[in-house]
Amino acid sequence: MITFQNVSKYYDNQTVLKNITFTVQKGEITFITGPSGAGKSTLLKLMYLAESPDEGDIVIGDFHLASLKESQIPYLRRSVGVVFQDFKLINSITVFDNVALTLRIRGVKEREIRDIVSNALKKVHIRHLSDSYPTSLSGGEQQRVVIARAIAAEPLVILADEPTGNLDPNTSIDIIRVFRDLNAQGATIVIATHNRELFKGSGNRVLKLDGGNIAGEEAG
Amino acid sequence: MTFSYSFKSAFKSLCREKWINLLSILTVASSLLIITLTAFFLYNVEIIANSLPERFSIVSYLKDGLSSEDTQVIIDTIKRRADIAGLKYISKEDALKELQHTLKDTGYILEGLTENPLSSSIEIKLKKDFVTPSSAKHVAGEIKKIEGIDEVYYGEKIADAIHLLRRSMQNMSVIIFLTISSGVVFVTYSTVKILFYRRKQEIEIIKLLGATKGFLRMPFLIEGGSIGFFGGLIGIIGALLFYFAVTYRLSMVIPMLKTLLFPFEILVVLPLIGIIFGIIGSLIAIGRLKL
Repeated sequence: MITFQNVSKYYDNQTVLKNITFTVQKGEITFITGPSGAGKSTLLKLMYLAESPDEGDIVIGDFHLASLKESQIPYLRRSVGVVFQDFKLINSITVFDNVALTLRIRGVKEREIRDIVSNALKKVHIRHLSDSYPTSLSGGEQQRVVIARAIAAEPLVILADEPTGNLDPNTSIDIIRVFRDLNAQGATIVIATHNRELFKGSGNRVLKLDGGNIAGEEAG
Repeated sequence: MTFSYSFKSAFKSLCREKWINLLSILTVASSLLIITLTAFFLYNVEIIANSLPERFSIVSYLKDGLSSEDTQVIIDTIKRRADIAGLKYISKEDALKELQHTLKDTGYILEGLTENPLSSSIEIKLKKDFVTPSSAKHVAGEIKKIEGIDEVYYGEKIADAIHLLRRSMQNMSVIIFLTISSGVVFVTYSTVKILFYRRKQEIEIIKLLGATKGFLRMPFLIEGGSIGFFGGLIGIIGALLFYFAVTYRLSMVIPMLKTLLFPFEILVVLPLIGIIFGIIGSLIAIGRLKL
């Protein structure tokens, strides 16, 4: 499903990621962990081309990112649902419209959008917040809206960048439970986090990043 | 569906950024009003200019002593010309009578004359398209060559004036139209560019969610077109107010203004012109932006 082949990324001659090679199988849940500045966020950004790799190739489903035309980038992004660390919610529209936006971009009919959004919000237990605006929500609630948006269009892959970074421990456990439910339904999920509590004892695959290299791999 | 989203998004933005949009709409309306008034001015000048050729004529004086057969030959020769709309033969006697009628109370001037000093003449009207300085000169030259014609006179200055008036009005209208059109395009261009930068963060998010360039551009095209459309509608209101002010209020003071005609056809196309200019401005704006 996801393949990294000798991928490197540099910022101003500084190595952020060096010769990263790994594969994530379909239906797998993988954690990327490491200290701040290890390159976790950059690694996720490479997967939806918010950043481009300087060396190597990445394959997501049928998309070979090294040879991907600019006009194909939107279609790659549609096959990846991203839970952004900084949420990236549009504050001028409601929770419903924020989640619906990803479906409207895909040209889904309005009649179907209503049901899909409603189901996505139900999965993350915030259906009652449908008409609220993001600015009136707590950090945890905003995080759930972002997850609902990421899963609404049933993408091939869900990428989550520090999905519990702004949340209290109880809410974090709730959010991780949501991801596990989605994974149980067949979703391939990659979560970047420095919070070891999220994968401890889970048995999921954990890739450790340090100084731009994969420092090790273990089962959580 | 994407289209209906683009419309909703554009109209939401029109309402959200109401002041900048209102300012642009009013600027577009004023510009389109100037175009309408230019069209109004040109329309009336064309009507006046079109009526002037009817008054234009070439007068050919015949030599004295021509027989009626010779005169008829000359008339027939002139009539055969393709550039002639019509002619009128004025005999010596008719010319004198007309002069007496013109002089009225001062007709005694002619009492001392022992014989009629006036010549017979033929007044020639040219077809509308031939009332140009070069055509009139050419026709007058050809007629002068006909056997039996003594002198030929034509209103050279009138022909020149009509030609000059038409040409300068057309040139002026083209210049005004191009200048104002560029202005309207620039206004929508600037507005759309400002609106784009105000929504830059939102656009970045939508891009990351998988929006194509077309999806991102469509609301801005609709917004630019809408600015032009509403500008056109307000332009119509302005033009109608101008028309009623001229025909009802000002014509009370200057009755001549009542004869002016208004090209109402332009009012129908004004919003359409606005939409076209608005979309062109938006296309330039978003075409130059990095999406």
